[in-house]
Amino acid sequence: MARRFRRSHKGITVSLDEVEVDLLARLFADVAGMLAPVDSEDADPLAAMVGITEDARMPDDPALARLLPDANRDDPDAAAEFRRFTERGLRDRKTEGLATAAATLDRGQPLTLSDDEARAWLTALTDVRLVVAERLGLRTDDDTEALHLELADLPDGDPRAWLGAVYDFLTWLQESLAEVLLAGLPDSDATGA
Amino acid sequence: MPIVLSTAPAEAERPVSDTRSELQTPWVTIVWNDPVNLMSYVTYVFQSYFSYPRPAAEKLMHDVHTKGRAVVSTGSLEEMERDTEAMHGFGLWATFSQDR
Repeated sequence: MARRFRRSHKGITVSLDEVEVDLLARLFADVAGMLAPVDSEDADPLAAMVGITEDARMPDDPALARLLPDANRDDPDAAAEFRRFTERGLRDRKTEGLATAAATLDRGQPLTLSDDEARAWLTALTDVRLVVAERLGLRTDDDTEALHLELADLPDGDPRAWLGAVYDFLTWLQESLAEVLLAGLPDSDATGA
Repeated sequence: MPIVLSTAPAEAERPVSDTRSELQTPWVTIVWNDPVNLMSYVTYVFQSYFSYPRPAAEKLMHDVHTKGRAVVSTGSLEEMERDTEAMHGFGLWATFSQDR
């Protein structure tokens, strides 16, 4: 059973058991796999090289669409243009963060992270939670409450109950990391000088 | 970083007055509520990325949660595109639009 993220003199530490390490490794890899760019055969290689996706459009998979959302609600042309120029970079940065987090899982327990690695973890956990939430159909705050009522009635071994438990674990883990990183920022009106 | 994203094409047919009002109307970055992102995380993102003081970051987080959305930054189109892209990097659901 995991013990929450804490800051120590060595860095930011967390204790995960073997099952949790395996689960996180799979989730980080799965989401990174989803984010791999799909280049169409007639894509302009020069455009791809400079990070332009000529045929970029909202992904069909709603979970991927949540990771790569439209940037303009009023103007579909502006949203498409933004996507052409930014989607490739966004995919790459998310993949890099997931890989950074995944690579630290090979260390022994308790896991000790630098601040940079902890920040990569924090965002990687967000991306994984966004995907799991979409698979669970969580679109509103009410959906999340309804899920917990539903989970209480599902039999052990039900795939949805398992995914719900995974989501709760990820939420708990991320909350403890967000609190550690937030505590490292100034908490008053002072600008932190 | 988008390089040519904001290079508006010349539009000769656009009336001069319209162009002037477009230039004077600021753009905004809006963050929309979602059921996934945690209050502590959203506060962390607003404070660390925008360098807002903690109370301001918390107020924006609270507005997103209770009102469904909040304007998190205001400025030129280029700046708002940059902020929107950064928010997407953090997994927040952000859009840019003209503040009308």
